[in-house]
Amino acid sequence: MSKTLLDMPRTEATPAEAPTAAPRRPKQGRGAAYRLKVALREPTTIVGVLALALFTYLIVVPILSMLNDAVLVQYGDESRSGQNFGELTAYYFQRVFASPLSATIFWRPLGNTLMIAVGAIVFAVLIGGTMAWLLSRTNMWGRRWFATALIVPYMLPAWTFALAWTNLFKNRKIGGQPGWLESMGMEPPDWLSYGQVPIMVVLALHYTPFVILLFGNALRRFDSQLEDSARVLGARRFTVTMRVILPLMRPSLISAIILIFAKCLGEFGVAYVLGMPVQFEVLSTSLYRSISSRQTGVAAVLAGAIILIGVISLLVDARLVREGKRFVTVGSKGSMNRLSDLGRWRGAATLGASVVFAISVAIPLLTLFLSTVMRLPGDFSPSNFTLDYWIGHDLKTVALPQGVLLTPEFWAAAWNTLWIVGLAAITSGVLGLLVGYIVVRTPVKFVGGALRQITFFPYLVPGIAFAVAYLSLFAVQRGPVPALYGTAAILVLAFIAEQMPYASRAGISAMMQLGKDPEEAAQVAGAGWWTRMTRIVIPIQKGSLATGVLLPFISGVKGLSLVVILAVPGTNVLTTYSLQLVDYGYQQAANVVVLMVAAVAFFGTLFGQKLTKSNLAEGLGG
Amino acid sequence: MPNITLEGVQKNYGGGAPSAVVGLDLEVRDGEFMCLLGPSGCGKTTTLRMIAGLEHPTGGSIRIGSRVVDSVPDGIYVPPEKRELGLVFQSYALWPHLSIENNVDFGLRLRKVPRAEREKRTSDVMDKLGISKYRKRYPSELSGGQQQRVALARMLAVNPEVLLLDEPLSNLDARLRLEMRAELKRIHEEFKTTIVFVTHDQWEAMTLATQIAVMSEGELQQLGSPDEIYERPANRFVAEFVGNPPINIIELAREESGGLALWAMQYITARHGELHGLGSVGIRPEAVQVTRVVENVPDGAFKARARITGILPTGGSWIIELDVAGRKLFSVTSLSPTCSVGDESWLWVQPADLNLFDGDGARLTPQRALVTEAAAV
Repeated sequence: MSKTLLDMPRTEATPAEAPTAAPRRPKQGRGAAYRLKVALREPTTIVGVLALALFTYLIVVPILSMLNDAVLVQYGDESRSGQNFGELTAYYFQRVFASPLSATIFWRPLGNTLMIAVGAIVFAVLIGGTMAWLLSRTNMWGRRWFATALIVPYMLPAWTFALAWTNLFKNRKIGGQPGWLESMGMEPPDWLSYGQVPIMVVLALHYTPFVILLFGNALRRFDSQLEDSARVLGARRFTVTMRVILPLMRPSLISAIILIFAKCLGEFGVAYVLGMPVQFEVLSTSLYRSISSRQTGVAAVLAGAIILIGVISLLVDARLVREGKRFVTVGSKGSMNRLSDLGRWRGAATLGASVVFAISVAIPLLTLFLSTVMRLPGDFSPSNFTLDYWIGHDLKTVALPQGVLLTPEFWAAAWNTLWIVGLAAITSGVLGLLVGYIVVRTPVKFVGGALRQITFFPYLVPGIAFAVAYLSLFAVQRGPVPALYGTAAILVLAFIAEQMPYASRAGISAMMQLGKDPEEAAQVAGAGWWTRMTRIVIPIQKGSLATGVLLPFISGVKGLSLVVILAVPGTNVLTTYSLQLVDYGYQQAANVVVLMVAAVAFFGTLFGQKLTKSNLAEGLGG
Repeated sequence: MPNITLEGVQKNYGGGAPSAVVGLDLEVRDGEFMCLLGPSGCGKTTTLRMIAGLEHPTGGSIRIGSRVVDSVPDGIYVPPEKRELGLVFQSYALWPHLSIENNVDFGLRLRKVPRAEREKRTSDVMDKLGISKYRKRYPSELSGGQQQRVALARMLAVNPEVLLLDEPLSNLDARLRLEMRAELKRIHEEFKTTIVFVTHDQWEAMTLATQIAVMSEGELQQLGSPDEIYERPANRFVAEFVGNPPINIIELAREESGGLALWAMQYITARHGELHGLGSVGIRPEAVQVTRVVENVPDGAFKARARITGILPTGGSWIIELDVAGRKLFSVTSLSPTCSVGDESWLWVQPADLNLFDGDGARLTPQRALVTEAAAV
């Protein structure tokens, strides 16, 4: 060490001022007291531990409880399983996977699910891929407009399209109003009206925007110079496409495909509306049926299987994407994106995009709307038009003698939606920001890491399976927690848990972006934790907090698969209410409700985009 | 009196990473303008943040005045908000949702200073830093230099006895940097604050600091005034880190130093006797004088024959590249050189300007040289 240091005169601290002179503790354990003091000094760690406990209870425990149901004999199954209540059993596994019934319960639904998913993926990739290319790399007319218009199906609930489909193609198999085709004198065959084909088409239309967004983003970032280099070396256009562009686009395409697959796995509404009339079952409807027939154990096994498939597919995605990352770096800062001249195909391409728009947005929404203002479908005479379904009085229907807007149940459902989903959205937005704060700021790494993982977990769990898990935990009283089934509380909690992946990711990235400095500056200036939170952190983050509330709200308003299991008539929300109307055969009334949900979702999303000045693709994955 | 005292301060981030700070002893005395200087990753910012309480040492203790703010052995920790310090961040960290005025008066509001006094102190400090006209604006509407002033004003408003600055000038352009340097010096004098300042820029350190602590790999290399650091570097690291163009180092034990090493060795032995462990000699370029006539070399100076191989004007001064028996040396002169490239000439160095280092790079101070140095200072 330098001599100059030793030369420096040192001011010696008097003993009274220097606790360092106090007798030292034994060497081991030294510093533990200090570390504890540092860790506990800030509420961050304590709040983090509390948050961790909360999310463990809201996310992990329900799933464990459900898995527990799968291996223990449930009440009422004693004689069938030949075991006592609460004993360890393989009965449910055997029943689901290897019994005479398992074809109906599991294997056929699994096959159907896979077929639908594959069909939807093929359609979506073909249509979406073409559209993405037209939108991002060509000089097609109206690209800006189409870029938003073709995304609309993603903003609306998927079963909006299922209802529209029934409106058009329904046949006499089920009662109620006839379909448009039928009333125009064409009797559509069953395969066109219900089951696999319509489900596949509807899901493909709904998920095409995923491909447009993910694939389109990758295409936009693609550097034209890479293309040029190949061309200069003598490759023809086709060769360039096959050997350069497509391989580089593979990661984004795989991501889109797996995302669609995972979504199809949990999709309930579409399969329910279009599949039930012909007993076409997918995994989610089979799960729904076993819940409605109170087969808790079977439901638990089914839900577990769905979760497992979901987890595996997303792990595959994570792996493939990580591998793909190696060559995603192509989009350098100076990347050039040159548009291909479509030449004489320009008009044809624009027409094609218009047709896609018509099929995926305009026709479904228009038929839905028209069906709510016409007594008989397909009859355009003025006398056939009516506002009865919206605001009529003294109608001759049994259970719904007035228009939907005059029905108290509708307003009850709307109010429920508003406060249940609203409360859950606000809570998850705030919690998301809090999680972000803790993850970024806690000195205890374990708390941050665990919190990040746990809040992300529901992403891997399809909503309907998650609902079953909630049912399993909260159906009966456990300790101080009363039975929550049938209350609004279970819906609020489940919504919060389901939205946490998005909320926490948004929170983490917002806090990462903010960094520590502004808060530390306040700390040095003398502000305690509470002051820093209320005067610095939250005010700065109010924009991202608003999005963090709005996006879960929209997703909750249009969501069906979670509430369909957990809601009871007293806690009906708009989506379950409209499904009920479908069940009763009040198609038009159901359409009115669905249109209103769609409007909330659509305008909410647009508002959200305005608010964040972002495009949807960034918030995608939801 | 707020002396800041660091005793045996350690910082280990764990996970097998090398310690950020290793057993650091440092004292900043009241009213000092102390600069922590070192290459990036040397632990200087970590040290500053530990003083502020934003990072937590894994060993040792820190006192501010008589108050122990960190003591790992005794389990004492005072949080940043109770330390009454000012800290200016490299990023300025202005609060984007508050106006300039509210950024500056934030600390006063927290301290519940009565409104009239608060307004007066806020205006005073904003006037002094020339940002009064932006009081209603928001940080995003100001330029980097203006933001910098706001960040300073925000901390000065509460009149802290200690002001910590983390690379405060590194985001400014050259001209603003010069301005702010003068500004900081003025603030130091006017507000009578103790300032601890972190930088990797040696000129910033040299021009501003009253004391410089040079750090490398978490260890203090030397603590001293700028002149001491420059003229009597405690070791090779300090010698080579400070100074531009860099110091000429002659490795005595190595072949490639050639004849120059031999002559230097002979000269040193003749002057000081056999020096045990002598490893290298460092000579600042300004100390290397060039002359064409050997008679001009003063008595007792170290001299060697040299050929001029390059003259590089740097505007106001010249760097002269010399070849001494196959070894390159640099000389800096502020006088227009009379020689030209290819000239055979002599270089000479005053004995006090020879920095001797041992094999490990630590400074060697021979007895007789000490006397000469004392005479020179």
